[in-house]
Amino acid sequence: MASPELASAEDSSTRNPNSGKEDGSVSGTKKTCPVHAPAGEEAKRSFRKGIARHNDYVKISVPESKVSRLPTEWWKTAIAFFYAAFNLVLTTVVITVVHERVPPKESSPPLPDKFFDYIDRVKWAFTVTEVNGMVLVAIWLVQLFFFKYKSIACRRFFFLIGTLYLYRCVTMYVTTLPVPGMHMNCAPKLQGDTQAKIQRILQLISGAGLSINNSHLLCGDFLYSGHTVMLTLTYLFIKEYSPKSFWWYHLVCWLLSAVGVLCILVAHEHYTVDVVVAYFITSRLFWWYHTMANLQILKCSPNNYLTNTWWNPLFNFFERNVQTSVPCSYSWPITWASACLKNPCKKYSMVQSSREE
Amino acid sequence: MKNVEAWSAEDVSDWLIKEGMPEYMDVLRQSQTDGPALLRLTQADFQVPPLSRVSHDNGQQLLERMDILRMTTHIEDHKNGHANGHVGGMPNGTSKLQRNGTLGRKDFEMIRIPMPTIEPPRCPFPTEWWKTGIAFTYAVICFVTTSVVISVVHERVPPKEHTPPLPDKFFDLFDRREWAFSICEINGMLLVGLWLIQWILLKHRSIIGRRFFFIVGTLYLYRCITMYITTLPVPGMHFKCSPKLLGDWEAQMRRIMKMIAGGGLSITGSHTMCGDYLYSGHTVMLTLTFLFIKEYSPRRFWWYHWFCLTLSATGIFCILLAHDHYTVDVVVAYFITTRLFWWYHTMANQQSLKETSQSNLLSRVWWYRLFRYFEENVNGTVPRNYQLPVSVRALSWMRGVKYSRLDSQ
Repeated sequence: MASPELASAEDSSTRNPNSGKEDGSVSGTKKTCPVHAPAGEEAKRSFRKGIARHNDYVKISVPESKVSRLPTEWWKTAIAFFYAAFNLVLTTVVITVVHERVPPKESSPPLPDKFFDYIDRVKWAFTVTEVNGMVLVAIWLVQLFFFKYKSIACRRFFFLIGTLYLYRCVTMYVTTLPVPGMHMNCAPKLQGDTQAKIQRILQLISGAGLSINNSHLLCGDFLYSGHTVMLTLTYLFIKEYSPKSFWWYHLVCWLLSAVGVLCILVAHEHYTVDVVVAYFITSRLFWWYHTMANLQILKCSPNNYLTNTWWNPLFNFFERNVQTSVPCSYSWPITWASACLKNPCKKYSMVQSSREE
Repeated sequence: MKNVEAWSAEDVSDWLIKEGMPEYMDVLRQSQTDGPALLRLTQADFQVPPLSRVSHDNGQQLLERMDILRMTTHIEDHKNGHANGHVGGMPNGTSKLQRNGTLGRKDFEMIRIPMPTIEPPRCPFPTEWWKTGIAFTYAVICFVTTSVVISVVHERVPPKEHTPPLPDKFFDLFDRREWAFSICEINGMLLVGLWLIQWILLKHRSIIGRRFFFIVGTLYLYRCITMYITTLPVPGMHFKCSPKLLGDWEAQMRRIMKMIAGGGLSITGSHTMCGDYLYSGHTVMLTLTFLFIKEYSPRRFWWYHWFCLTLSATGIFCILLAHDHYTVDVVVAYFITTRLFWWYHTMANQQSLKETSQSNLLSRVWWYRLFRYFEENVNGTVPRNYQLPVSVRALSWMRGVKYSRLDSQ
């Protein structure tokens, strides 16, 4: 297919008189050739482009897209933040409501659980979980701070957290599991005392639901485990939005996450099914959302059942203008010192602009 | 065009700019690289300074451009030098283009461009019944494992006097109706029957059957896990759980057989065991058969879809009305079934999702390899075509009327 064109191309070039003119035509071609524009353009690796040095080709002007393919749109991130905040508050309200309905542990003993049969309770294990959780959240925040496309990553994080906690509200509310162990101290029930309930809600929110700061004395929020959700989700985000070569970093975060989840069970703070269901839902939702966001072809495809979820309109709203998968690139958040963290000593003008694969 | 061999350092710089690689300009100009020196550059040169400092891709792009340069130079030489050379004929042998810069030779050097042999068009939807057989075996194994696990879990269910039923929002709102569970099971059987008939009439039954068996098997496998790890108490005091057989293997085996034979339905009297609450197998069957019926029937049969939806929804509602499962069992079952169905079918319909890549996070599920094995030869969305099974044609009453279009689609 290339040969007839090659033949015609070579014929026309031999028709040009000798090499003096060739130079002229080469330099003249340099001025008029829009295809081989200098640096900044994407490399085109086709044989035909490489040998096209003639004056008899047609200029096809490719419209320079003025719109960035990854717009920041902080207002959408703010909406996602409010969505997440609303769901977190809703979760605390539901926990308070469900607490009233938890059967007392004397009348409803802990359910039989396979993990609890094999491993006895270790008292300090839950502290390990919560410390790991806080470390992972801190690492993720630091990583986000240096990430170039903060608004998009933040938006996704808030949306996923919000949705996961919303699902959690539903499962906690419909059926109330009894406490997993006789060691749990549940705060006394406040029958109908709304003021005290509101105080409890505020205490829970301010302490972020952690037992470490004594804000979580309420029982009944077992299916499914919020701690597992945070541990798994922060690890998934850390891994997805960091360079692939940082395997040691991923390993450390994975260890933190896995040990944290294991310690939840060792501390007998949740049933095994709570943890398993939480991991399943978190990982599936994360992968589902990110595949839809990364593969642009899915947005136009008619047989895309991934859009059958109830949150698809929200997804379209958030990700409509994101036209490509978010590259993993870092920069100082302050604009005047934009040195790429990858190569601090060397300055490459091309690296930051186009080689972001 | 001047031959590359005759290029000076200036020409090399100009060419670099034109090709969009100005970063090499300084280094190559410093080392006075002219045409021949440029052609002598190899990959190894990009591994050491000074070229390693300016190159971000180990010089791949530059080397590729140089190859193109060599080829065009060579072709021009060829044309200019051999006007009466091998006109049109195919070369006897093939020889690869020499890449050592000695292109000035006036030799016969042909580049062989391999033409891909045109393969005969393969059927986009091969039947591959053996893969369906494997999926069927997988589903059977999962069913048997579920029965075994139910039997094991039954031994661990706390007695209902000891552990009362858990508080459930639906149970607070609706009292128990005894006849409700029969409705649920009848609906389930109807839906399975309808799906079976529809499946027999489908043209690509092997592919669709494979999908059904795989999804059902995986759902029951997940169910084994959630049932086994934590045992929920019975949802109502009306439950009559058969007595526990502690350690009596024979009786347990018999119980398992009875359950498999009866399909796990209470109507057939095969489901007298307790403990299999999270999550609900009845919901799985009701939801999954409806999803498959809707997916593989014509769009215009809306009345049929609505009928099946009503059957399915009423069945699920009746499970709860009969206080036979907790609400969370039904919710989780619905969620897992729909997500798995949609996940699998989206991956099967999109060619780009059948390859592992950085953007395709759907490929990170544990069953991805199995999915690839089942669906690798299926190209595109399976169309909803219908075809009578072959054996029907042999019936005598059909002999008078012959339709050639019916089964040739």
